[in-house]
Amino acid sequence: MLLNLNSLTPIYIQIADWLENEILNASINVDEKIYSQYQLAEMFNINPATAAKGLNILADEQVLYKKRGLGMFVSSGAREIILEKRKNQKLSGMVKELAMEAVQLNVGEDELVTLIKDMHRKIKEDMK
Amino acid sequence: MNVVSCQGVMKRYGRGNALRNLSFTLAENSITGLIGRNGAGKTTLLSIIAGLQKQTSGEVRVFSENPFNNLKVSANTIFIHGNMTFPAAMTLSELLQTAGSFYHNWNNQLAERLLEYFSLDPSQNHNNLSKGMKSTFNMIVGLAARCPLTIFDEPTSGMDAGVRKDFYRALLKDYIASPRTIILSSHLLNEVEDILEDILLIKEGEKCLHMTVEDMKEYAIGISGPAAAVESWIAEREIIHQQTAGVNGTYAVVRNVFSEEGLERARLQGLEMTPVSADSLCMYLTSKTKGGIDHVFS
Repeated sequence: MLLNLNSLTPIYIQIADWLENEILNASINVDEKIYSQYQLAEMFNINPATAAKGLNILADEQVLYKKRGLGMFVSSGAREIILEKRKNQKLSGMVKELAMEAVQLNVGEDELVTLIKDMHRKIKEDMK
Repeated sequence: MNVVSCQGVMKRYGRGNALRNLSFTLAENSITGLIGRNGAGKTTLLSIIAGLQKQTSGEVRVFSENPFNNLKVSANTIFIHGNMTFPAAMTLSELLQTAGSFYHNWNNQLAERLLEYFSLDPSQNHNNLSKGMKSTFNMIVGLAARCPLTIFDEPTSGMDAGVRKDFYRALLKDYIASPRTIILSSHLLNEVEDILEDILLIKEGEKCLHMTVEDMKEYAIGISGPAAAVESWIAEREIIHQQTAGVNGTYAVVRNVFSEEGLERARLQGLEMTPVSADSLCMYLTSKTKGGIDHVFS
């Protein structure tokens, strides 16, 4: 992967996202050691402090756990935490856009809820 | 531990002040970018830290000692700058050998490999090198010395884009292999910001900002849209930069103190919010008038 240096997303978030992908596609498994800040710094040509910030985000979210003097490891619930987080972020982002569009088009709250309910029902029926 | 600490440092040249009341500290094993316009006082500050010049007033401590005429500071510091002179009679390889005898941590293998990589002829004289090649040789000396305090003043001037990129990577790799405190002054912030940890921005001899690169990228926010809407949004705020954009449009840069909800409301009013790069922010903060070059022609 190459970092997108001009992106709105800060570099340390991009590092955290990349590490999450490595965990999701099983490049690194539960209880395996994740890259150190220095390995990441060299891989992506960034300051080790920036790389550490990315790792610490994942440690705070308990995707990783620290072993004193040994580094950081993938925790057993990592996959679920990442999936849950991405679901929340993606879905709430889409709902936000939906609501903004509704406001611009003067669609009322009840009308919007009805639209969502109908669509949800229709998709579920189609899937049967 | 702080490797460098400056307290109210002032430097006077003739009647003008090159530095005024400058105070900051630099932590051990970090890479700090020293950024400022031409004549902001970068080189003066660096040569005071390196012990080549004495400040007019204020206190400077490097490795807890006064750096001026100090053997301990000299032995542990290397200052790489554009006006370095080397004995004319010596070849590059002799220069490297001699430099090695001065510095305790000198890595001769690294020096020779870099010399070869950058296609510098070891039997050549320093005087005969082009500007870019001189900079490259100086950079090799600065890296191979592996001094606990390594100072590069505009190290990339004259280097072509490829060499600059290689230099930044070499600096980062060698910093990881052998951590030390590095100060790097540069005009090309967008090229170096990824390898920096902190940025120290000075303006007219005074400290303007000193923070991590990541914080600096979130320090300000750009707002663009219809002039009237932007004006009302930025009223009573600290405006860092303002310019007209297109017909009836305004682009303004202000401190990023808005909440998510606030930004959302602005978007609903048809304003566009964009991040401000560290490079642009430094330029805006150090410009003399808020109108910029357009002001001259108006």
